[in-house]
Amino acid sequence: MTINLFEERGVALGKQRMSWKQMAGKPISKLDDDAFTRVRVILMNGLELDSLRTKQMALRMNRDARVTLAQLMRVEQHQATAINWLIGADHSPLETTIGYEQAAIEITASVAQLEPDPYLAQAYRYALLEDFDHLYRYSALLDRLEGKDANNIVQGYTDIVPARATSEHHRAPEHDLVRPYEPGAALATKLHALTLTGGEYQTHDYYMNIGPLFADPLARQLYAEIASVESQHITHYGAMLDPGETVLEKLLLGEACEVWNYAACLAQESNPRVKAMWEQFLDFELGHFQVALQLFKDAERRDPEEVLGSGDLPGFIAFRSHRDFVRSVVDEETTLRKNETEFVELEEEGASSLTYRNAVNADGSPSTAVSGTYSWMPGTELMRRVPAAA
Amino acid sequence: MQATTPGTNRTGAAVSPEQINLMIEAVEDLSPPVPIDTAAIDAERLRYIADADSVGSIPPPASLLKGTVKKTVARFNGVSPSLLLNKIGERIAFERTGTRLYDALIAKYLALSNGTAAFLPLGEMQAENDVQDAIIARRAGENPLETLRRIRAEEHGHFLMLCDAMAQLGGDPTAQTPSADVTGTASMGLMQVVTDPRTTLAQCLDVMLIAELTDTASWEMLAELAAKAEQRELAEQFLTALDAEEEHLVVVRAWLKELMNEAAGTEAV
Repeated sequence: MTINLFEERGVALGKQRMSWKQMAGKPISKLDDDAFTRVRVILMNGLELDSLRTKQMALRMNRDARVTLAQLMRVEQHQATAINWLIGADHSPLETTIGYEQAAIEITASVAQLEPDPYLAQAYRYALLEDFDHLYRYSALLDRLEGKDANNIVQGYTDIVPARATSEHHRAPEHDLVRPYEPGAALATKLHALTLTGGEYQTHDYYMNIGPLFADPLARQLYAEIASVESQHITHYGAMLDPGETVLEKLLLGEACEVWNYAACLAQESNPRVKAMWEQFLDFELGHFQVALQLFKDAERRDPEEVLGSGDLPGFIAFRSHRDFVRSVVDEETTLRKNETEFVELEEEGASSLTYRNAVNADGSPSTAVSGTYSWMPGTELMRRVPAAA
Repeated sequence: MQATTPGTNRTGAAVSPEQINLMIEAVEDLSPPVPIDTAAIDAERLRYIADADSVGSIPPPASLLKGTVKKTVARFNGVSPSLLLNKIGERIAFERTGTRLYDALIAKYLALSNGTAAFLPLGEMQAENDVQDAIIARRAGENPLETLRRIRAEEHGHFLMLCDAMAQLGGDPTAQTPSADVTGTASMGLMQVVTDPRTTLAQCLDVMLIAELTDTASWEMLAELAAKAEQRELAEQFLTALDAEEEHLVVVRAWLKELMNEAAGTEAV
């Protein structure tokens, strides 16, 4: 599928309407659909919500674009609804959480391999190891709280083992930042950073919403702990974005990012009904892009190619297991730490992070407690034929 | 942990009669009562039900996935093998979650019995009939904690036995069958009550009563299904499990009654 952003027109914004029943349609099957269908649903919900977020900020900063932004946001919000409502109610919040972490792992692993900038590729690998460890901690909780196997969700695509321990993810804020890409960065670089920022934002917000719904004190602690790390990840990825971009430049990139991701979903989707949704929403986004393009041209009087290059879409995220790549990163980079914007060896970690970490872990580490002695096996750890420790 | 006692509960209308009168006035002005009619809700549910997919499929036997035919599921005297696998999958899920529920219940019991405030130890249970008497006799000499741990071990043992049964029939004990998925959804509330630090032992036992009542009825039906399918060995194993589950039910009921009768006002109730 070849799409050039400047050539495709999509569906006109005024023709993009959905009824409530179209938004609250049939969910995917937790049992029968491929795990990557759920991964794509999670990703695209995150991107729609980030698109909405960006536009709300733009609304506060741009008098001339207010009506157009409001019109775009109405459709984006309905798209987000239609996508997020695809998650069936038989997913417990914790099972959905497993899906979120799998999405983070496999998407970040793909992006880390696609990213042309070596420093940013390092940054993706760095946070990848943390989401990878979150999957292990949440899987232990799922096993020990609900008596369920996380593999019912990850379907054999993603390993469930520890990496950089979650208890070590807590850094002082100044060490969460990453150097931003330069204005002339490749379009791929810009879209990668925007995609991961949106994804992490959604994960954070989801954990903040469902964390208090748990009765179990350890679950509440674990969600508090990992939500905090996801907030760090928003900063980590958000800091990649060039702060010099104008609001309308960010709007234009945001629409391009949605087009790029919908096209990737459409190219790889196995569920025909969901595929039809990706196709419809790709057309919607191409329409949004045209609107954003016009706003950009009218207001900034700049050539959009300065922002988007030729308009050809870069290589897509590969929605598949990246097991070998992830294992190599686990082997080689688990001990890396942060010092300001740099990735350093363990002993060179920024000192303020150690102080901060000691404070938040002062009363114990939820992620450590929940996963003590945990070793994933098919069917939960209760499948072991040895007596449990007293 | 605190006892459940009378206090400042603000939820009822009787707490704020003047405010309630104002609310009723507002209703009379703006949405006065008319005959109740939920037909619109019913109609919408019917439309969605008619159009719905199932939650998912019953996994194919592992032997089929491996491409071998040697261990392919046998025909079971008219009983659908898929149905039997689905229902065994359901009990696998329920027993595994049940094991985790007892983990949480044991923590609750330990918190109570280790506390400094007054706590009524669970004493000897009173049998209501001969069957119960025989069941209670089995736990003679056990203290409540030992009983809880034994029940937990039995739930776990049932889970492992079911995994073996599933494998024996050519199914995959690690797969989530549709009925396992549904029972998982149903069990969420049970887990929420038993793991809540604020709930009392009696409140948790109320929840375990739901679990054990379901367990006994479900084991009974599963044993009947296995017998009908001429899986005699499995049917016997399931009846043995039913026997144990009946004892669990008697224990839970007896403890609940005892707590209601003897421990009102304590942390346990």
